[in-house]
Amino acid sequence: MAPAPLATGVGVANLPNQRHKIVAKRGANFTIMVCGESGLGKTTFINTLFTTSIKDHKNPLRRHHKQLDKTVEIEITKAELEEKMFKVNLTVIDTPGFGDYINNKDSWLPVIEFLDDQHESYMRQEQQPSRQKINDLRVHVCLYFIRPTGHTLTPLDIEVMKRLGTRVNLIPVIAKADTLTPRDLADFKRKLREVIAAQNIQIYSCPIESEDESTTTRNRTIMSAMPFSIIGSTQDVTTADGRTVKGREYSWGVAEVENEEHCDFKKLRSLLVRTHMLDLVSTTEEMHYENYRRGQMETRKFGDPKVKKLNNPKFKEEEDNLRKKFTEQVKQEENRFRHWEQQLIAERDRLNKDLEDKHAQIKNLEGELDGLYQAQGRNTTRR
Amino acid sequence: MAHRLGGRRKNVKKGFQFCFMVVGASGTGRTTFVNTLCDSGVLPKKISDNPEEAHNEAGIKIKPVSVGKLLNFMLLFVHEKQSLIFLFIIVSELDEDGVRISLTIVDTPGFGDNIDNEKCFQEIVGYLESQYDDILAEENRIKRNPRFRDNRVHALLYFIAPTGHALREIDIELMRRLSPRVNVIPVIGRADSLTPQELRDFKRRIMEDIEHYNIPIYNFPYDPEEDDEDTVEENSELRTLLPFSIIGSDEEIVVNGRTVRGRQYPWGAVEVDNPKHSDFARLRSALLSSHLQDLKEITHDFLYENYRTEKLSRTINGGDQDGAALDADEMASQSVRLKEEQLRREEEKLRDIELKVQKEIQEKRQELQAKEEALRSLEARLAAAQLQDAA
Repeated sequence: MAPAPLATGVGVANLPNQRHKIVAKRGANFTIMVCGESGLGKTTFINTLFTTSIKDHKNPLRRHHKQLDKTVEIEITKAELEEKMFKVNLTVIDTPGFGDYINNKDSWLPVIEFLDDQHESYMRQEQQPSRQKINDLRVHVCLYFIRPTGHTLTPLDIEVMKRLGTRVNLIPVIAKADTLTPRDLADFKRKLREVIAAQNIQIYSCPIESEDESTTTRNRTIMSAMPFSIIGSTQDVTTADGRTVKGREYSWGVAEVENEEHCDFKKLRSLLVRTHMLDLVSTTEEMHYENYRRGQMETRKFGDPKVKKLNNPKFKEEEDNLRKKFTEQVKQEENRFRHWEQQLIAERDRLNKDLEDKHAQIKNLEGELDGLYQAQGRNTTRR
Repeated sequence: MAHRLGGRRKNVKKGFQFCFMVVGASGTGRTTFVNTLCDSGVLPKKISDNPEEAHNEAGIKIKPVSVGKLLNFMLLFVHEKQSLIFLFIIVSELDEDGVRISLTIVDTPGFGDNIDNEKCFQEIVGYLESQYDDILAEENRIKRNPRFRDNRVHALLYFIAPTGHALREIDIELMRRLSPRVNVIPVIGRADSLTPQELRDFKRRIMEDIEHYNIPIYNFPYDPEEDDEDTVEENSELRTLLPFSIIGSDEEIVVNGRTVRGRQYPWGAVEVDNPKHSDFARLRSALLSSHLQDLKEITHDFLYENYRTEKLSRTINGGDQDGAALDADEMASQSVRLKEEQLRREEEKLRDIELKVQKEIQEKRQELQAKEEALRSLEARLAAAQLQDAA
């Protein structure tokens, strides 16, 4: 049935405006995760992106406190942003400890579990009788910070990105890009794109086509700049030609954050906030959440709790250690037993010898006794 | 440099022999540094492998590379698929202030790039120790080879990633393990990602960490009483520069009309040889001119001697320790259940034996007592009989 154009204005066209008012009043919810080794500028980037200090930098004075368990933590920072009367509840998820240790095996597990848990929690809350207050911490976008080596992705990067890509909108980002010359940068981006394609890592791609031409071209330029090269800075510096910009001041020049020729920050910001935030949110809800839900429902009944995997690899290490200790103890016990056995045998031999001696004595005495008897017998008979 | 050579004129002609190793995660600028140092493309840059293979963790291979003015190269041991990092050895000749230096450089690509890097350290330590072993063996020979080539590593440049925070676990662990065998000089690679303020703070924090964890790095030692003023001043100055911030480049760019080695950014150009931009020039002169001899001496008189003492007292005290170091996994995997069973059985056996023995002892004791009783009664009867007799 073809849509029938209304001749006079009924007011149906006002619907989007109404929607706008409702949405503006409700505010929005946005959860962003930053993942990568420490020292790549994640905190600085978040603060630069939203031009306020949302996250605190790591305190260098506490670095000598021993961290015994060597695990990856999940750090959640919440902030409420307001711009022109529109509120956004921003949640930033950081993963301190990721990739920092000598042995980073399975370091992605806490992160993956966290992502799944959010989907899980949302699913459970949806299934409740009362669905008014849903606490939605599902991650809408994950920025993975890549070290600017100029070579390629490390095995750790590949492992993690593979797993992240299927669960959340993944955007790879080249951190500290002011250490790469333009040519190095172009080479590096090309190599990264090749590796990502070859390893089948799913990264976020925004819809390109749109009604007006300018949006389409803009989307296309944004997507072609992936992975984005980032320079982060919250400080204002003056450039050689007198402008005051956010940037990093070196002895040889000023690297500007918002200069498109220096880095892709503007493009990324546009992607994350200005133009595609809604798309990120809706893909999370529609695609990733639905995938998760479908996967879970195929195996679980409605209302069933999630089956928890019991083999945590860190526990396995502890298990191995315990086993080693146990074997050592066993060895010690065996030694003790051996000594004990020897002692017993020695004791027994000693007692046996005593016995022998006593026997011998008895025999002697008996012999004497017999002798005496005989003598006495002779005596008595003689009488 | 000439005044040091004083009485060593023949060495000048023969040239000095120097070997150093560069260690660091990939992307910290090791290879570029070596190429910048030797003023030529001595080391091949990492060819980013087939993207399909990028997820494979590399194996270790030691390969000599012959380049340009190469005199001789050593074919060292080749592991296949067992170890974890590659070692490239390059031998080339340098002319430094008119002094010929026969330079051996050992590169270690692949260090720290795997997911689990616990085994990397052992590779490097193994290499260093095997060089010492060679010297030890050579010294003990009856007939020594006059052409024997000393391949001990005299200095190790450890490239720290420019995170701007502090030392990471792998940095601390590596420097700590390697300091007893080689002079470790920490170096900040790719220092052009840090602003001057950040660089100062980073250096300060690194030195604090090194002190806190008691890592014995090579810090240009000097004795304020023994050495002359110049040396003291020079060494303390170098010490304040530690860890050296390095920017390397094998390309030439044009800055203000001059052609220099450097990196060209859209916001400016970094010059490699400019002391305000990087400590490269100071490090080069320290490594190859002023402190070359010092490094060699410390390696020979101190580190090598320590190793020798350790090794010889180890063999005296008995036996190869290698066999005893069972792999933890092996021990754990040896079925613990079996051991438990064995143990239980043995315990039971022992207990049985104990019981039996005790029973035997009891019986024997009873026998003994019975016999004693009999004996006593006999004695009593004897005594009585004797009495009777006497009466």
